[in-house]
Amino acid sequence: MANDILLKIEGLRASVEDKEILKGVDLTIRKGEIHAVMGPNGAGKSTLSAVLAGKPQFTVTAGSIEFLGQDLLAMSPEERAWAGIFLSFQYPVEIPGVTITNFMKTAVNAHRAGKGLEPLKAGDFLKLMREKMAFVQMKPEFAKREVNVGFSGGEKKRNEIFQMAMLDPTLAILDETDSGLDVDALRIVANGVNALHTPEKAAIVITHYQRLLDYIVPDVVHVLKDGRIVKTAGKELVAEIEEKGYDNL
Amino acid sequence: MINGRQQTIVVEKGANVNIIIIVFPGVSCDVKLDVRLAGEGAEANIYGAYVCGGAERVKISVDMCHNVHHCNSRQLFKGIAGGESRVDFYGKIIVAKDAQKTEAYQENHNLLLSEKAKVDTKPQLEIYADDVKCSHGATIGRLNEEEQFYMRSRGITLEDAKVLQMISFISPVLENITAETERVAVAAEFESHIRNIIRNI
Repeated sequence: MANDILLKIEGLRASVEDKEILKGVDLTIRKGEIHAVMGPNGAGKSTLSAVLAGKPQFTVTAGSIEFLGQDLLAMSPEERAWAGIFLSFQYPVEIPGVTITNFMKTAVNAHRAGKGLEPLKAGDFLKLMREKMAFVQMKPEFAKREVNVGFSGGEKKRNEIFQMAMLDPTLAILDETDSGLDVDALRIVANGVNALHTPEKAAIVITHYQRLLDYIVPDVVHVLKDGRIVKTAGKELVAEIEEKGYDNL
Repeated sequence: MINGRQQTIVVEKGANVNIIIIVFPGVSCDVKLDVRLAGEGAEANIYGAYVCGGAERVKISVDMCHNVHHCNSRQLFKGIAGGESRVDFYGKIIVAKDAQKTEAYQENHNLLLSEKAKVDTKPQLEIYADDVKCSHGATIGRLNEEEQFYMRSRGITLEDAKVLQMISFISPVLENITAETERVAVAAEFESHIRNIIRNI
């Protein structure tokens, strides 16, 4: 059914500093689906996620992206976030001097303003914070820390999933969320992603390895190689990649 | 604020002085401080925050003289220069020959918002004693675009992202305003000025 389509990417080409990274990507994601995008280093996986989130340093030279029927490429990064897109960063950015509480309050209220809603009342906001912090097993002190400053690898990724829980996106893009995680943190993050998933939402899990996909089981698996999707199949493709490697696909 | 005339502050034995210099947008000034730590255990803390968005000329000069032993000084100046403004910071720490066990720190950090704004910072150390802890540092940078994209990807508008970056940049200075009402008022005034500056870029 056409109205099940959340995201439709067609013929997407993108460059950074005049170097073409994505060389014609087609990808359709329907409600309720989890897609894995796998591929060797340098294939363009992170570029795909950055282009979806609207990173200004990337230039789209051809193709289109439709998200819930809207022209995503015409939207600013913040408009994309309001529309329901969330990118979990491979390398979450440190923001010295800005506490998690202040950061999230600004973000949550910006989302509300984008939808024409009043800012959340202080009490309701703190209640939401506490609930979502518990969800990713963050201690209460976490709220007062500066965004990602001095965080361990695991804390940074849990912070990403915490933010995702706070903002409740329709399409979550997880860019190498497994990198730098020990098995306990991996489990917390994966459980978080699974718990947030509903039949109305979708997720793109970008990863180099099988590991994360043992916990977040994809419906569709794509292999991205040299800026193109070279193979698409069901979850059985993960095991095939693990066995044969990317070179022999 | 006294413009152009040098203010001399003598800090005697066991005394301390805390000075906070606040320069709001639209204000040009020429502040010259000559601080003399003249008695054992004297302490001076000087903080400054300036935000310029137009054609302001902000000059700040501090001579921090450690004349005797066991004195402490700390200086932190942070500022933002946009528009066609010009900031000159000159800070000198002078440690006399007999001023052993001195601890003196000075930092000046700046954000440039436009091509036409100019910041000139000259941190200086003049040390004649040999048992001291002194450091100084100065930086001039621009708003970090990776931070901006991270915030925008969470739905924070570009304008709010810049306000957050700039407020957080000067807040280490404002934190030293001990009276809460004044601290909140100064921060709020800076924020509304900063928002105006961003809208006019």
